[in-house]
Amino acid sequence: MTTTIESTESETLRIGDAAVFEQRQQQFGMAGDWFAALQIENWKRYLELPRPTRVSEKWRFANIRFLDELENFCVAPLRAVDEPSLLERSERLSKVSGRLTFVDDNLAAPRTMSPELESKGVIFATLVDALARYPDLVKKHFMKHSPDLGSDKYEALHVALLRNGVFVYVPKGVVVEDPFIVNYWNQADDVAIFPHTTVVCEDDAKVTVLEFQESLNPDAAGLVIANAHMIAGDRAQPTHDIVQNWNRKTLSFQLNTNTVGAETNARGLIINLGSRQARQEVHGRILGSNSNVEMYSLNVPRGEQEFDQRTLQTHVAPKSRSDLLYKNALSDDTRTIFSGLIIVEPDAQQTDAYQKNNNLMLSESAEANSLPGLEIGANDVKCSHGATSGRIDESELFYFLARGIPKHKAQELMVFGFF
Amino acid sequence: MSELVIKNLNVSIGDRPILKDFSLTIPKGEVHALMGPNGTGKSTLAKALSGHEDYEITSGEVLLDGENIVGMEADGISRSGLFMAFQYPSEIPGVTIANFIRAALTARLEEGQNFSAPAYYKELYQHMDELKIDRSFTSRAVNEGFSGGEKKRCEILQMAMLKPKYAVMDETDSGLDIDALRIVAEGVNRMRGPDLGVLVITHYQRLLDYIVPDKVHVMWDGRIVKTGGPELARELESRGYDWVKEELAEPVA
Amino acid sequence: MSKTETPDLNIERDVGNFHYDTTYEFDAGVGLSEATIDYIADVKGEDEWVREFRKKALKVFNDKPLPTHWASRDLENIDYTKIRYYLSKGQRPSRSWDEVPDEIKETFERLGIPEKERAYLAGVEAQFDSEASYSNMKEELSKQGVIFVGSTEGLKEHPEIFRKWFGKVIPIGDNKFSALNSAVFSGGSFIYVPPGVKVKQPLQAYFRINAENFGQFERTLIIADEGAEITYMEGCTAPKFETSTLHSAVVELVALKGAKIQYITVQNWSENVFNLVTKRGLAMEGAEVKWIDCNIGSRLTMKYPGVIMRGEGARGEVLSIALAHDNQHQDTGAKMIHAASNTTSNIISKSISIGQGRATYRGVVAMPKHLKNCKNNTECDALLINTNSRTDTYPAITVRGNRNTVQHEASVSKVSAEQIFYMMQRGLSEGEAMSLSVNGFVNDLIREFPMEYSVELKRLIDLEMEGSVG
Repeated sequence: MTTTIESTESETLRIGDAAVFEQRQQQFGMAGDWFAALQIENWKRYLELPRPTRVSEKWRFANIRFLDELENFCVAPLRAVDEPSLLERSERLSKVSGRLTFVDDNLAAPRTMSPELESKGVIFATLVDALARYPDLVKKHFMKHSPDLGSDKYEALHVALLRNGVFVYVPKGVVVEDPFIVNYWNQADDVAIFPHTTVVCEDDAKVTVLEFQESLNPDAAGLVIANAHMIAGDRAQPTHDIVQNWNRKTLSFQLNTNTVGAETNARGLIINLGSRQARQEVHGRILGSNSNVEMYSLNVPRGEQEFDQRTLQTHVAPKSRSDLLYKNALSDDTRTIFSGLIIVEPDAQQTDAYQKNNNLMLSESAEANSLPGLEIGANDVKCSHGATSGRIDESELFYFLARGIPKHKAQELMVFGFF
Repeated sequence: MSELVIKNLNVSIGDRPILKDFSLTIPKGEVHALMGPNGTGKSTLAKALSGHEDYEITSGEVLLDGENIVGMEADGISRSGLFMAFQYPSEIPGVTIANFIRAALTARLEEGQNFSAPAYYKELYQHMDELKIDRSFTSRAVNEGFSGGEKKRCEILQMAMLKPKYAVMDETDSGLDIDALRIVAEGVNRMRGPDLGVLVITHYQRLLDYIVPDKVHVMWDGRIVKTGGPELARELESRGYDWVKEELAEPVA
Repeated sequence: MSKTETPDLNIERDVGNFHYDTTYEFDAGVGLSEATIDYIADVKGEDEWVREFRKKALKVFNDKPLPTHWASRDLENIDYTKIRYYLSKGQRPSRSWDEVPDEIKETFERLGIPEKERAYLAGVEAQFDSEASYSNMKEELSKQGVIFVGSTEGLKEHPEIFRKWFGKVIPIGDNKFSALNSAVFSGGSFIYVPPGVKVKQPLQAYFRINAENFGQFERTLIIADEGAEITYMEGCTAPKFETSTLHSAVVELVALKGAKIQYITVQNWSENVFNLVTKRGLAMEGAEVKWIDCNIGSRLTMKYPGVIMRGEGARGEVLSIALAHDNQHQDTGAKMIHAASNTTSNIISKSISIGQGRATYRGVVAMPKHLKNCKNNTECDALLINTNSRTDTYPAITVRGNRNTVQHEASVSKVSAEQIFYMMQRGLSEGEAMSLSVNGFVNDLIREFPMEYSVELKRLIDLEMEGSVG
């Protein structure tokens, strides 16, 4: 069920090297002609698409210099993972439905999975396995949606160079109570990885996927271009939470879509702690009525981190609700960008759509940029957005101090309260 | 001719029939009370009479001094002389009471007639004083942020200013404390006279202590099942609606 | 009652829809080149530095791409080779209405300008195509040292006052249309209010386009010296032509220490006008710049009045009303740049979209440096009348540091069917009910306009909208 991992001594190429894609295909060609064709097509697309520039609207306020560095990263070598502490560190939560752990795009431990769920037809597999065993199912859902928020070029790169990932499939009516845990680690210096998670939750099904993104080596510079796609049927209840905690030398992309049908309850949460610079795009598309989609993010940048988050809430069908809340607590010399857009298409009457970005400013030189947008094409809607940027209330702080709580602890508590 | 005649009125909401061959005549100069348990169609009657498009009149007539108002737009019905005091009056942000009533009066002017602002304000203030509405309310937006009692007094103020031929008061007593109830009732009583017919729709007899009706009708399942004098209201108050139910020969599920 | 049917609007946009055949003494011809600029500069007898300024601007205009990567692609429909850039009967405005040529005088009389001047204005300038035909100010203001002239006269006769700030608040290259205006500007008002002078009554400019295939490019610069106060109002109309007309103004305001400038616009261009205007004010220490902006007419308006708060304690405000109906796109907003501590800005924007009309709000609020105690409050409310009406909101907010506060709120609403029914039960027709509701929606902002204007505005927004409840 798991692929064997062998060490190879072959030279690893940088993304910018002309031969990188062919070498990659030879080494890691995955099952399915359609998949190979898709990768070839995306490699072409990557080469053709222009790099975003300073005046690109979808990159407004972003510090785009880091894009120059991307092609210097090497594709991750195929190797056996030998890191005794790793599994221990990946053992989060005791009650889980299954676990998959990767280091630098290599499967790091045998998959675990509840046999009971397996018998109900639930799939929780590496992408490599899923392509081999359920090619039609993967083909049906793989990369069918795009965030379309400015990183097309890097999405294409992700598809072209990805070499493993996770495929979750929950059949109609099956309820998965305990979460699936996915651990993505990066480790080697100067290496790029392409984590990919596709979660398909069919009609009346329920599933929770928790994804942890971390670095084994705090000093290794890394590039991560991750994708996560959640596809939910009618009355489905999918949840996908991501904790991003790459080391401070990693540049990361997280390109997500959440596509839901009718009467669905879907939630996506991203907590951002790590990365030198993180770019995230999340597109929630609501295709059915009476659905509820929640998009949340909590962000605690420190030092010189920049978190750049772009979101889209598209209401195609009437009578659904979406709620977005992005909160940033900014310290030191950090920067955040929140750019969100609610699109209510002309047929989506009786939509309720909310979007909120709150910034808590904790230092003198932190900078928060907010672009909360609305495009409303139907009149019978409840839509609002709000953005606030403020500081810790001095009188509240004084109250803490008057109770003998030191200032830094008081601030910590108040940040906690802010979330 | 000087009467409001409702003849065999059938009204549906969606596919659901609510009023079933409802008939009632209110001569000018009289006050009638329409009582009945919740869900029996009282408010449907009010909305249908005033021309609300969600209430479909499938058959029947409503003759206002001989003129059939069924099928007319709500504003035409209003200008024909039917006033509705709503149970839940709408809020109209940004539009002041003074401007609103003025607009309603202006809509009633005949061609060539002029609106006199001084006379208007004189009359408006007089009615406001009588209804104990503070004069500063003229510059407040209609019903916006009003308490329940303020809303109902504002309805009566509009009625006084627009001088309808017939008024329907839909659960005007709901949500009123005793003082507000008295003020509202006094307002209506001041308007009573040979030129006004009133239909008071209420669930309780309480309001009828203040606005004493000439006739009381009991409504049940979309039609009037019993008619009497003021004593009928008191009987209903003491015995509840169940005895009406029992009196009805029809089997009740 | 169709829910998508376009309502029959009776906004009084037809007030300005008339046209007189006029013969022009001066005509720069069709199309834009250096020769056009030389013609304008020659006719005006301008100093060499002004001619150079214009030529530099033409180059910037030609080099700059259209901002269609964020703005409406409708901009691509402007054909600059078909426009006439300068048309006038002469360069000197009359000081008395009696001396104004008949058809021009009749135009402004029909628009009620002389009457308003007598009633409540401190001064009036009436521009007909490229030049002001009439300009006059009450004598007592001249005695106090107030200057109220056109751009040509301002630059030629008072360079010591105006040259210092001309093109400084809005540089040539600020955007493609500020460059175009800088190349071919003509007319507009140059105003100077000396220290401590508080002009009680408003000064008014009236901009009239009469000619077809024409571009009007007035240029306004208002300087309020320390402690001075001034209110300036502008109105504009044009007849409705089959072909498109371009109006592209640049307005620069300078409020020195403790000064107050209030600038009021009621824009009612006909539906063939592209209205692409750059407006910005500079507020020094303790000064206040307030834009009150009402957009009712035009085919496409792009206008984002701004305030740069450069001195401590400066205040900026934008109050904006936009009404977009079928075939109209009101793309308006505000820019607040906090460049000093203890500065405060406030933006209130209300838009109404009717039929297939589209109203867009774009805003910039920036507190970029190490500042403290800066505050911004922004409210954007959109009212959508029909099921297919459209509104967009695109604010951009940058805050640096932990000593400032920003709050942005936006909402979208419609007039509820129950509200309309309630009003109809009082005898108002559906159209009257809708009109009253719409007026109610903007009422709190309309109160900010001077009395005479608010009456006119209410009438202007008085919609007749039978069958428009959606």
